Amino acid sequence: MNVDYGLLWHSYSSIFTLNIMFLIFAGVTAGIVIGALPGLTATMGVALLIPLTFGRPPLASLSMLMGIYTGAMYGGAISAILIRTPGTPAAAATVLEGYPMCQKGLAGSAMAMSLFGSFVGGIIGCIIMIFMSPLISAFALEFGPVEYFALAIFGLSVIISISGRSLVKGIMVGFFGLLLAAMGLDPISGYPRFTFGFSELMEGPNFIPTLIGLFAVSEVLANIEKMLKTEKVKAKLNQYLPSWSDIKRSTAALIKGSLIGTVVGAIPGAGGDIAAFIAYAETKRSSKTPELFGTGMVEGVAATESANNSCQGGAMIPLLSLGVPGDAVTAVLLGAFVIQGLQPGPLLYKEHMDLVYAIFASMVVAQFVMQFVGMVGMQFFAKVIMIQNSILMPMILVLSMIGSYAMRGSVFDVGLTIVFGVVGFILQRYDFPLSPILLALILGPMAESNLRRALVISSGHASILFSRPIAVVLMGLAVTFLVLSFLTHKKIEKRLAEMAGKGHEMTLP
Amino acid sequence: MKRVDIVSGSAGILIGAYVLIKCQSYPQDVVMKIGPAFFPEMLAAGLILFSALLILQALLGKSIGDYQKLILREKGTQRILLALVGMIVYCAVLKPVGFIVATIPFIMFYMFLLGNRNKLHYVWVPVAITLAVYLVFEKLLVLSLPGGLLRDIL
Repeated sequence: MNVDYGLLWHSYSSIFTLNIMFLIFAGVTAGIVIGALPGLTATMGVALLIPLTFGRPPLASLSMLMGIYTGAMYGGAISAILIRTPGTPAAAATVLEGYPMCQKGLAGSAMAMSLFGSFVGGIIGCIIMIFMSPLISAFALEFGPVEYFALAIFGLSVIISISGRSLVKGIMVGFFGLLLAAMGLDPISGYPRFTFGFSELMEGPNFIPTLIGLFAVSEVLANIEKMLKTEKVKAKLNQYLPSWSDIKRSTAALIKGSLIGTVVGAIPGAGGDIAAFIAYAETKRSSKTPELFGTGMVEGVAATESANNSCQGGAMIPLLSLGVPGDAVTAVLLGAFVIQGLQPGPLLYKEHMDLVYAIFASMVVAQFVMQFVGMVGMQFFAKVIMIQNSILMPMILVLSMIGSYAMRGSVFDVGLTIVFGVVGFILQRYDFPLSPILLALILGPMAESNLRRALVISSGHASILFSRPIAVVLMGLAVTFLVLSFLTHKKIEKRLAEMAGKGHEMTLP
Repeated sequence: MKRVDIVSGSAGILIGAYVLIKCQSYPQDVVMKIGPAFFPEMLAAGLILFSALLILQALLGKSIGDYQKLILREKGTQRILLALVGMIVYCAVLKPVGFIVATIPFIMFYMFLLGNRNKLHYVWVPVAITLAVYLVFEKLLVLSLPGGLLRDIL
């Protein structure tokens, strides 16, 4: 497909009308609010607001949905940074650096970088989507069970980077998370495993309640315990854009995160959550000060947010060019296209090229609107962290428990949130990291189902796992990443030991 | 830290052993000898291996990290236990009693637990939070919350 620049330029004129701009604006704002609320995902937000698009022309409807998608992918970072509760799974990796920054009084910098990173990632993802659609689609179509298994292994190799100081504990927790992911119906035979008689566990522990429990409820419990011992670090959120020094420090992270997010997003089934963790791990690995990651490094926020927002452009590539959704949100968007009487795929490009370009344009415009709305809303977000703990913690608890309930209207999920809250609290007391559990829950089902499919295809011969070029490359990358991360970890331990010996405190440069 | 790591490692081994034992009852030869037990057994073996490694590290005096003991006598620990009881009760009464009726006292309880003694806050904060969450979820997003005792009114 050659890009029709004339048509591309003309598409912007069809977007810059009062009606479309209002819908994009409303969509972005609604998306940010939904993304920020724990328990409500971008997928849910798009699905919930699809009925609002009924009766509207296709471009108006799809522009609004693009706005919601864009806003929600950024919105998750707000609660991840301010209250350690990722609003969406894609923002789970943002907690790793965003919340420590908030605790140090750098909430303004974290929020500004998360918004800027989302904007940069979104724009780069859109540009790549516009110009590289056919190439990336062809690549994504080559993915079969072997390649998906290799991708899962590559994703799991990231566990080393997010294990904190003890690799053994990080890997232990990773295996524990993979075992949790194995709960429920076996993906091939349908045999129930470790359901303990609960029908609600037939699909395994629900991801959102688990996420909320591990991060939010455990933090609330920790706050309840330390009540009188710690003071809130007050910070003003009056920084609309990151400082120039923060941008310079984070340039590489922004670019790498955007590229990683776009490519991962283009692979059907792989979403912003995977992309964000991979981008974070790569940024940490290549940093000159990896030992400072986990203490509040702005590059970490830049990497995760640029990755999860650039995923949007990547996920639209297979959707528009092949009719295959790139992630859960685009799966819902596929339904929105069908409701509008459109069939995504090669025919869409042939018969509705003007609409395709207009969708591209609306996505680009939505990034600018997100930047604007995010900047304007910053002062409102600031008020959240100024609320005293005795009011904020109960508010977080209610949001967490109702957010868990809202997914399936199930009190079981609320109970699950409490259980994982206790699990998370205890693990943290014993100095076990929590992020490997999340990663394992995301990638475990992908790894198992594709491994077994591959072995069925090959009649049980494991050699199939090394027979496909993309899979071999991904496995090779996984091994390389494991080795490099292990060496980085050793370097960090050595530096920390030297610093402890000299009596230095760990501070940002 | 050494004792804590030994306990954690032992817990990991026990979990892994439980999984391995449970997997023996799963059908093995479903498709190409790869049944529902295949993956969990691999994972359990991995968990047992690294749990044993953690115990070995502890015995060799190479434990890494910090540990904060939970002492039952301490007020902080008692607050946590009370908080957990509160959450369990909330979970149990949410559907029969309803979101609004359950949430207002729930918030009041946690405000008290967290040391808030401002009487004015108890008047408006729980109601405001409950109402805000109700409006956002029930009216804006059209996600049903349990009506409970107020089902006929709402």
